[in-house]
Amino acid sequence: MEVQKEAQRIMTLSVWKMYHSRMQRGGLRLHRSLQLSLVMRSARELYLSAKVEAHEPEVPLPTGRSPDPRLHPPREAEAAAQAAPPDGEPPSPEPMDTQETPRAEETPSRCSPRPAKASRKRRSSSLSDSGDAGLVPSKKARLEEEEAEETPSEVPDRLQPPPAQAEGAFPNLARVLQRRFSGLLNCNPAAPPTAPPACEAKPACRPADSMLNVLVRAVVAF
Amino acid sequence: MVLQSSKRHYRVWNHRRLGPWCSPTGSPAPLSCETGCGEGSWILVCRLLVPTQVSLLSMEEDIDTRKINNSFLRDHSYATEADIISTVEFNHTGELLATGDKGGRVVIFQREQESKNQIHRRGEYNVYSTFQSHEPEFDYLKSLEIEEKINKIRWLPQQNAAYFLLSTNDKTVKLWKVSERDKRPEGYNLKDEEGRLRDPSTITTLRVPVLRPMDLMVEATPRRVFANAHTYHINSISVNSDYETYMSADDLRINLWNFEITNQSFNIVDIKPANMEELTEVITAAEFHPHHCNTFVYSSSKGTIRLCDMRASALCDRHTKFFEEPEDPSNRSFFSEIISSISDVKFSHSGRYIMTRDYLTVKVWDLNMENRPIETYQVHDYLRSKLCSLYENDCIFDKFECVWNGSDSVIMTGSYNNFFRMFDRNTKRDVTLEASRENSKPRAILKPRKVCVGGKRRKDEISVDSLDFSKKILHTAWHPSENIIAVAATNNLYIFQDKVN
Repeated sequence: MEVQKEAQRIMTLSVWKMYHSRMQRGGLRLHRSLQLSLVMRSARELYLSAKVEAHEPEVPLPTGRSPDPRLHPPREAEAAAQAAPPDGEPPSPEPMDTQETPRAEETPSRCSPRPAKASRKRRSSSLSDSGDAGLVPSKKARLEEEEAEETPSEVPDRLQPPPAQAEGAFPNLARVLQRRFSGLLNCNPAAPPTAPPACEAKPACRPADSMLNVLVRAVVAF
Repeated sequence: MVLQSSKRHYRVWNHRRLGPWCSPTGSPAPLSCETGCGEGSWILVCRLLVPTQVSLLSMEEDIDTRKINNSFLRDHSYATEADIISTVEFNHTGELLATGDKGGRVVIFQREQESKNQIHRRGEYNVYSTFQSHEPEFDYLKSLEIEEKINKIRWLPQQNAAYFLLSTNDKTVKLWKVSERDKRPEGYNLKDEEGRLRDPSTITTLRVPVLRPMDLMVEATPRRVFANAHTYHINSISVNSDYETYMSADDLRINLWNFEITNQSFNIVDIKPANMEELTEVITAAEFHPHHCNTFVYSSSKGTIRLCDMRASALCDRHTKFFEEPEDPSNRSFFSEIISSISDVKFSHSGRYIMTRDYLTVKVWDLNMENRPIETYQVHDYLRSKLCSLYENDCIFDKFECVWNGSDSVIMTGSYNNFFRMFDRNTKRDVTLEASRENSKPRAILKPRKVCVGGKRRKDEISVDSLDFSKKILHTAWHPSENIIAVAATNNLYIFQDKVN
């Protein structure tokens, strides 16, 4: 549970940093955006795996499968839309449902001040009804949002773990992740092709992580 | 934001060197010879400060050292972000030291000449020239502001009386010529001494204008502007050993330029994927081999280095050598990917080795061995457990540089709390020194510092939690042949020298 909270906090923080990096002088820094997205992806994996671990006795497979439908449609959406942060150019406004990110921000975070402008560019729901390619990604965003919602409801009194504890948790979690992931992969061959388990020696060139891009574009839409 | 014109002046407070020197333990320490890495052998030569306009006015009234020292305490509050030094580079002889700052200015310091009268003053650097290299720009097409911060300065080897250097911001590289003028022509026929035209009817005699000495004037002129070649932010420039070409590298591409041609450049590396969503790594630094004009290396955000040979093909997308160390699974953590990103790569002077800096370590690689570095030095491993906090305060993204000494026997890099570290490759000894105002009293030797990791803190040690992460030393430079180092700490430039010199 602490792992989940910490992962969520880091995800929120990364989102906030990404948002802020757009506003700094000199424009979006490609390297910084890439690093932030890597951290966000790791946090997301951690969060999802921790969630899987928590739900494992009850519903292991469906949770494992849920990321799948998200993967395939975004590929079509990607062709149409532009991934803004990796591009050096400012993103074109995306008809995305931005509900996810404001929701993520609502989670109290000790160190990341809530961006006040989060809801300023919220897209109306009419945009998502236009039948645009953007419709599909926004559904994914809502799926993710539902997941994110579950955790706060389960844990009404969130306690921020002290950083020393949290950091200490991560190296050990690598081992937990490895166990969890191998379990996932064994029982569900259609599991999301996310990065190899944390303990593998060499992180190879990762395949395009569309889940991440969906999340990233949700951020960008603000 | 309007940048003020650069009428800034620089004050140099030169501290006298010490009397007899000995190691901290009191016993006479061995001469440090070439390595100069022994404890207690570094002394402060001078600290060069960039005051802003406000503090300058108050300082001009006082030349009393004591009062100036007091005003040091106020300086920090006056220093603006534009004064933060963003690059430091000695020229090939070490006579000149150039710094670039966030405000787009370049300041060049010159070493004091040796004189019989003031023999102890040799080794001090004074301001030689100041100029505004880059101005803030606005890219209308992308609605982006282009920062004027100088990312890198590289000197060209001197071929005539003038000095040439390249300076770059995020988008544009400029070639500057810095030349001295100490004579001016006098005795024109058609003009009088003020330059006004004389009435031709009043001219009755002819004279030959002669050159008369004048006060030394150093002028900097932009000779070439290499613009519009980079979509992404330029992170490195490197002059080729043929002295005719140089390269500029941004996040995804490296371009090769000829110094004479500004409207064209060759693209020699392009790692931009067809689909930007598949982007996994960016170029973080690049450098030409010091002797082989066909060879260069570039580092990536994934911790790998690629060596390319321009003779192989026009587009060097396929590397000749690929340097990567397998990841240590025990060190794997949440932020492993970020901290493995290489922030700087430097060839040794010999051309045999390359040195890379990632967030926590410095590594030396032998060009002949690609599968792992030959040496790894821990810069501040105590931060490994603090990565989460460092991510929160953005420190984990800091790009530290690293330098070789002239003989390639010692390497140096910066850390936090104004600490910088030197590693002697031969003796395997290392030292942590601090560049701070408290230590810059005259007659002070730099005392080695130690960071306490465990529970018990000794008297002189500093605990990890007390480190000031806003005081970071990202940029350092080492004189090409002597043990003189320049360390940039925010808006201060410290110059230290080995006492043996």
